[in-house]
Amino acid sequence: MEVTIIAETTGDSLHPITAQLVGAACSMGGTPTVVCPGGIGSGEASSISGVNKIISAEGECFDSFDSRAWANAISPLCEGVVMSSSSAHGREVLAQIAAIRQIPVIQDATGLEGGIRITRPIYSGKAIETSVVSPPCAISVRQNSFESPGNDGDAEISTVNSSSDVGVSVREALAKANEKLDVSEADIIISGGRGMGEPSNFSHLYEIADVVGAAVGASRAAVDTWDEIPHGMQVGQTGKTVNPSLYIAVGISGAIQHLAGMRSSKYIVAINKDPDAPIFGVADYGIVSTWEEALPILKDELAKL
Amino acid sequence: MPYDALDFYDVDSLLTEEERMVRDMVRDFVDNEVLPKIEHACRDGVFPDEWREELGNMGVLGAPLKGYGCPGLSYAAYGVICRELERGDSGLRSFASVQGSLAMYPIWDFGSEEQKNHYLPKMASGEWIGCFGLTEPDYGSNPGDMITRAEDMGDHYLLNGAKMWITNGTIAQVAVVWAKLDGVIRGFIVEKDDEGFSAPEMKGKHSLKASVTSELVFQDCKIPKDRILPGVKGLRGPFSCLNNARYGISWGAIGAAQACFDSAREYALSRIQFEHPIASYQLVQNKLSWMLREITKAQLLAFHLSQKKDAGTWIPEHISLAKMNNVDIALEIARVARDIHGANGILDEYPVMRHMANLESVKTYEGTHDIHNLILGRHITGIQAFTRSLE
Amino acid sequence: MTIAVLLKQVPDTTARITISGGVVDEAAVGKWSMSPYDEYALEYALQLKESGGADLIAITCGPARASKILTDAAAVGADSLIHVLTEDSGMDSSNVQSLLAAAIGRVGADVVLCGKQAADTNAGSTGPGVASILGFTCVGMVSEVSTDADGFIAMRMGPSGNEKVSVSKPCLFAFDKGSMEMRRPNVRGIMMAKKKAVETLTPSDLGVSLIDSRVSLESHSAPAEKPPGQKFEGASSVPTVVSKLRDEANVI
Repeated sequence: MEVTIIAETTGDSLHPITAQLVGAACSMGGTPTVVCPGGIGSGEASSISGVNKIISAEGECFDSFDSRAWANAISPLCEGVVMSSSSAHGREVLAQIAAIRQIPVIQDATGLEGGIRITRPIYSGKAIETSVVSPPCAISVRQNSFESPGNDGDAEISTVNSSSDVGVSVREALAKANEKLDVSEADIIISGGRGMGEPSNFSHLYEIADVVGAAVGASRAAVDTWDEIPHGMQVGQTGKTVNPSLYIAVGISGAIQHLAGMRSSKYIVAINKDPDAPIFGVADYGIVSTWEEALPILKDELAKL
Repeated sequence: MPYDALDFYDVDSLLTEEERMVRDMVRDFVDNEVLPKIEHACRDGVFPDEWREELGNMGVLGAPLKGYGCPGLSYAAYGVICRELERGDSGLRSFASVQGSLAMYPIWDFGSEEQKNHYLPKMASGEWIGCFGLTEPDYGSNPGDMITRAEDMGDHYLLNGAKMWITNGTIAQVAVVWAKLDGVIRGFIVEKDDEGFSAPEMKGKHSLKASVTSELVFQDCKIPKDRILPGVKGLRGPFSCLNNARYGISWGAIGAAQACFDSAREYALSRIQFEHPIASYQLVQNKLSWMLREITKAQLLAFHLSQKKDAGTWIPEHISLAKMNNVDIALEIARVARDIHGANGILDEYPVMRHMANLESVKTYEGTHDIHNLILGRHITGIQAFTRSLE
Repeated sequence: MTIAVLLKQVPDTTARITISGGVVDEAAVGKWSMSPYDEYALEYALQLKESGGADLIAITCGPARASKILTDAAAVGADSLIHVLTEDSGMDSSNVQSLLAAAIGRVGADVVLCGKQAADTNAGSTGPGVASILGFTCVGMVSEVSTDADGFIAMRMGPSGNEKVSVSKPCLFAFDKGSMEMRRPNVRGIMMAKKKAVETLTPSDLGVSLIDSRVSLESHSAPAEKPPGQKFEGASSVPTVVSKLRDEANVI
């Protein structure tokens, strides 16, 4: 079964999902060709175990991101099952390739079996859909759903010159906004309570928040005790009700009013030195430790991802 | 947790789609603009001015009035607006009730064409706030014996007296004031800057803290001749305003009760005692099911009354019954909800104690609970029992 | 200028999703709403209309109940409403794309706004697919859009951060969370909405013959139960927890 993988890149190198896509393709018995838009990462891709060949697609149309131009340029290079990352950009290109090739598209697969049987979360993870599709088709895959194979490969790289009309021009790349994310918008929240000891210690939470793109929240106890912690950060009954994918509670005992505001978070991590703190009752992963010991390690580990 | 409005019999399905859209609009306003600010507003004892502005932008002020820039909605829609506002806070609903039913309505029904054109568009848009002066320090349930007097001075009227417990008084540009002219109760429009008029705020309330309550003081207050409401004489004037306001309250109280029920249910499910949620204990379930029963009955009462109001087949006694019953059960539901919340119920983390304190006022204003009993008693027996003298 | 905004009715994000007989039980959904990303698209469509004096057409594809969101769109200012009536809510995305593209072609819109993905399928194929069929430039992950001399300026999340891009017509913008929330209607808008007719079109009205879906649904199922809470002693357990967050919970 022919599989064409559209490589995902970050800056000048391959994103780890690219190797995971190769792993996914091989697990369904496919023979993967990796297309590297703009030629980026083709050397790296050729060493991924199991890759059949690399197409380094070069051309001015890849200089900036225009999903239609990319789809028009990449589509003629595709055969069989076309796969990409389920990142926003991956999906956008893949959906257009599917439309051009008139093949069905399934986005955000978290499981694949030969056949092809696909599982994917729907309704924001409140249900799982299992469906069957036969090649040719297009499938995007969620990051970390498949193992990366090793890198003892040595696939041949062929270069193709592509051209395509570009309709989007970048006027200005904006520096990463330094404004703080609001807790009601963030997908990851790290909150501190009175156990942080001093309001200045919230700086440790901000450092971690910067690493993972999280918002910093606080318990009412922290907001009421310290003027430096504004009410807008408060999570709980009279603060904001949040439901991020990940909520990290640091030095928060877990009063019922706080739980009311964050209990519906998908995953909850609690860091508290008191092993009997009620917050551990709702935590998926509890760490009995002082924040002074745990936060530096947490920051390093998250930075490694 | 998002608000889950108890509607056990799906009574809202009897509303029109337009009325449900109005409901959703006001509910969204309350969720996003009112609830995040209400506790601070209560603590500071202020009515946030942005609420006035947004009520005007939404176009809900004077909801059932037609023409002159007024919304022209049904009474059912007006009821729903009151319910959703009072789910936020009784003080917010009071603001809208006073503006629409007590200040705009008398101008709309009894005012001259000039008065309607001059005042109503600006009041509907929220630009001008109105208040209503009937109650006096010594005359509450018995307004007919009011002291405030108007004197015809040839080219103007002179007002003397004082009104008390006046919602919006200090922040109002327009006051509809009831006073005796040659012994007959008449309505007068007083403007904020009229000579001899002042409206000091009453402080120290334990209830309706996010609502402005004032005295209105008239000391040789001079007002132009064209400010008298030409269309009504006697107590019928203020009473017809009160009928509309009381109708709105019969809906509003349901909103407060729904908020208390929602909070109590949520709390009972999450509060663990003796290793189980307190919602799993029979005594708590008994309280919750009683709340559900009373709210459902109140909803049916209010909805049917709205249909009679829109059809014009109502009598004031119908409104008395609904106001009395729905406020009564809402207050009791607030108290029971506070009980379910245990000690946490006294904190401003939860809305229950605020609603409870508010509803104590709502039980008393716009005809006390007992006065409505007497209105019904008179209806049943034909004998008035307000005074000791039998007429 | 004619602007089309594509809206989808989905179970409210607070609604409970239940599964019955191996499929999501739509009859059990308590509340249906406009898909959240579509709300941002509608808000910015209204802003474009207000800045340029355009005609704004709201289009949905779905069963009869879906016309409610068109009335909601009319209440905030959509000028005309098109409902592409299909009873099969689990329809293949390529059919939905063909129907929407045909509806857009019918009204002659040269700019299309939509959400980046719907809150039910979470796929994100419809917008780009529609753009591809129509031959429109496609810009995704948009948070703001405004008119420029002869085209548009959009803020989008590009592959390496926020970018301000210029785009010329014809084009499609797929919205991520926008900078501004959808406006609240007012009573006047709600009363006007009642008077705006919804034009209901069937696939054959649009000249689209539906293709048999090449994706066959096997089942819907409940997500795997989360493992019971795990508690670890000491800061040395942090790396274990981080790896579980990545591999077990899949949230980082």
